[in-house]
Amino acid sequence: MHRLIYIEEAVADHPRTKAICARFPRATKVYCKHYGEVFNRKGQNFRLQKQNPALILAHKHKNHVLNAPDGYGIGGQRNYYFSHMLNCLYDCRYCFLQGMYRSANYVIFVNYEDFQQAIVDTAREHPDEALWFFSGYDCDSLAYEPVTNFTDEFLPTFSQLPNAHLELRTKSLQIRTLLNTEPLDNCIVAYSFTPAALSQALEHGVPSVEKRIEAMVKLQQHGWRLGLRFDPMIYQEGFERDYQQLFEQLFSRLPAESIHSVSLGTLRTPKAFHQNMVNLYPEEKLFAGRFDEQRGMITYAKELEEQMTHFCYDQLMQYIPQSLFFACTPPE
Amino acid sequence: MINIITALPCEARPLIDHYRLRGNAKQSAFRCYQNDELRLVISGIGKLAAATATTYLASRDTQTTSGWLNPGIAGHADHAIGTPLLAHKLIDAASEQQWFPGIVIPAPCASETLTTIDSPEAEYRPGTMIDMEASGFYAAASRFQSCELIHSLKIISDNRNQGTDQITEKNTTALIHDNLSTIDAIISELQTLAHQQNRIDKAPVESDAFMAQWHFTTYQQNQLRGLLRRWHALKLPAAPDPDDFSQLTTSKAVLKAVKEHLDRQPVHFYEANR
Repeated sequence: MHRLIYIEEAVADHPRTKAICARFPRATKVYCKHYGEVFNRKGQNFRLQKQNPALILAHKHKNHVLNAPDGYGIGGQRNYYFSHMLNCLYDCRYCFLQGMYRSANYVIFVNYEDFQQAIVDTAREHPDEALWFFSGYDCDSLAYEPVTNFTDEFLPTFSQLPNAHLELRTKSLQIRTLLNTEPLDNCIVAYSFTPAALSQALEHGVPSVEKRIEAMVKLQQHGWRLGLRFDPMIYQEGFERDYQQLFEQLFSRLPAESIHSVSLGTLRTPKAFHQNMVNLYPEEKLFAGRFDEQRGMITYAKELEEQMTHFCYDQLMQYIPQSLFFACTPPE
Repeated sequence: MINIITALPCEARPLIDHYRLRGNAKQSAFRCYQNDELRLVISGIGKLAAATATTYLASRDTQTTSGWLNPGIAGHADHAIGTPLLAHKLIDAASEQQWFPGIVIPAPCASETLTTIDSPEAEYRPGTMIDMEASGFYAAASRFQSCELIHSLKIISDNRNQGTDQITEKNTTALIHDNLSTIDAIISELQTLAHQQNRIDKAPVESDAFMAQWHFTTYQQNQLRGLLRRWHALKLPAAPDPDDFSQLTTSKAVLKAVKEHLDRQPVHFYEANR
């Protein structure tokens, strides 16, 4: 429950603002001119705020659709992301958001129609190409579904755009809307995983690996196409056993034909974000191991990266055809 | 440590008595009172006085993280006399500058906007408390501390039905006194947050021993603290000990050796890490 909801004055009367506020009748509304006054100002402590984040309702004025970063894709030539929400309900210690944002408050941009129009415009600019739109870059696509109503609002847009593909990337069990919706061929629901021991240690507030698999099984039975994302892969001594067990657990439950794509990427964080994360959590074991700097990113040592990638790739090839595999590796 | 700024002696008195604060005669710029956990300064009326007193207290603060509280009285058109309200938005009327304290603590009372004015006004502004210090306090305190640890708590002293002409020193003291449990709850929550943050920011205990043995530049001292934190985060069986590196003659060599030692350590997450 949010104690405070900050609302940009310009969206105070927006129907979506009213609907979201109605879900939190006891929250105090605080009005601001621009969400950045609350979200972007200096002198905030992300870690303290994460204990009790506020909600911010705002209008996104531009850049509704952005080019996805290099290495963020599943085979498409044109990759984009859009963020109706900033920040995540979960608290994964490896997540770059905690190093990127000053605030842990959740921002929801209520002008969904502008995002949808930008998606339509982008798809129409390239009518003969397959475009990918990723919705889970700055937030979990589904975790706040009861509040955002995101899938219900955005799936109809994609149902009208055969050349546009949507990836919902998530760790959430909020799949009710998807189970009440006819599956779309151009939408995949991609679940992120780390092995159970790592998930328990590092993915605070995230449903267990087993619960996520159960959600995937339900989605698969309903006809949704599924993605598996092992990005980031996290190292610990004996990672081979951990990932082997995870893959066995997943592929013993999920039929191969339901899998649309599998991607793999090692832990990598822009240097400035990494330093912020270490400052926030200096006692965190994740940041205490050996890291190197490669191309402005903080990563595991190159040989360790290669060792993990090769091992996991070889393991995955026992379960899926090569055509479904995608490496999340930024270009040299 | 919690730093408290009040404008008036009559606002401070119930706090001084309740927390058994002792006057500090050495500090003559402002009237200061303290115990082991709290420090209180009486700033005088007005935002400039509040900002100056806040800076004065901050300059004497030896801790990385402290909580800041500005309790006092305020007017509001509609709220009942005696209502305690935490400020969730502060406005400086003269400059129109705004601040948004992050309320992460489970506050024991409702919250409201608080507007700081430079001189008394005849009419109440709609939808806001009115005082004369909070913007100065907040602007100054936010230079030293993150917003989650800085709060203004106001007790409504006047409204449309009972104007400022009825405010006396005696009933001001009574208003603060009657809300001590609310003030105490907020102070307690701020202390918890400040302790949490101080534990996080605390330099590893071994830092001084290393620095006594070798000369580290300021930059190297930061590197050393970072490495020693890594050491503790890895939960290695042996604590860092400068004697283990005593054969090394320079701080640079020590940093390199500690880093290499840490880089060789296995990482495993099997123990509870929450």
